Amino acid sequence: MPSKESPPLLSPSSPPPFTLQGLRAGIVGARTLVPSVTMYGIAFGVMAAATGLKVWEAVAISAWVNAGSAQMATLQAWADPIPLLAVCLTTLAMNARYLLLGAALRPWFAGLPAYQSYPSLFVLGDANWALALREHADGRNDAAFLLGSGIVLWFVWVGSTAAGYVFGQALGDPRKFGVDFMLAAFFATMAVAFFRRAGGIAPLVVGMVTAIVIERMAPGPWYILGGALVGSVVCALRPDEGQPDHAA
Amino acid sequence: MRPDILWAILILGILSYGCRISGFFLMQYVSVTPRVEAWLRSIPIALTGAIVAPIAFNGGPPEWLGLATAVGLMRLTSNEFLSSVAAVAVVALTRALPF
Repeated sequence: MPSKESPPLLSPSSPPPFTLQGLRAGIVGARTLVPSVTMYGIAFGVMAAATGLKVWEAVAISAWVNAGSAQMATLQAWADPIPLLAVCLTTLAMNARYLLLGAALRPWFAGLPAYQSYPSLFVLGDANWALALREHADGRNDAAFLLGSGIVLWFVWVGSTAAGYVFGQALGDPRKFGVDFMLAAFFATMAVAFFRRAGGIAPLVVGMVTAIVIERMAPGPWYILGGALVGSVVCALRPDEGQPDHAA
Repeated sequence: MRPDILWAILILGILSYGCRISGFFLMQYVSVTPRVEAWLRSIPIALTGAIVAPIAFNGGPPEWLGLATAVGLMRLTSNEFLSSVAAVAVVALTRALPF
């Protein structure tokens, strides 16, 4: 059953607050993600060095592209001369899920002026998106949260890329400390938070099964987009959705 | 400084930002019916489930224990920081076990 306590998604007429307090809440809220982003950034720096990029090139990619999984995959396709079409398609494939993330932000961010919403989207990532929507689900709808958390993670990402490039090989195996599991743990906790406001168990189960099947069949990141798309669409297509009484 | 690398980085960044804004931009032309709202509302749970599921499926006892810790503690405390750190500790400890 769709939970009735979730806040109405739709209030396009009234813009959400976008304040310094929201920005600060995002900065503080991002702390959970600093260890895993640091490790990820170090890994990218190490791999970029191994691929033969210059240090400023690695840092420029992290600063400008700012998308971990896409950058990792791009390195796999990187060569000299650069296979431009291949690296572009890889980046698009990896980042296609951002379409869903952005779509899901629309009801909340719709009332914001473009000079607030579009810069915020530059630092949109899976993790701070999940954190921000969790804030929103809890009734704190300050839209600057996404920007605040995203800026912190941007600095951590760029800094750890440089650190990984320069010092990477000197570090030991992070698997020993379980740091590679931090993101999985974080998204598991987010799943718990979202479960309360989702319309029943269907999107979760369908999303998980679809992701496992796609991950077995297709290499690369398609399983995330596929699971999210199929899981959410199936939920919306159920016959009891679309009834007027579900409109908050 | 090689211009081809500079161009490649520039284009990759533009493509990434394009993906970030397109879904948000296009949704202004979609009228949010209850069905569309149900879709948007279920994206977060479907996406987080999709990220976690292969890790659970491909993982072993350390990962299963870690996920169980994360989910269990989150249900009890609603604190994602505490729950994630505890889950990582559980994974590190169980990986260190000699079997």
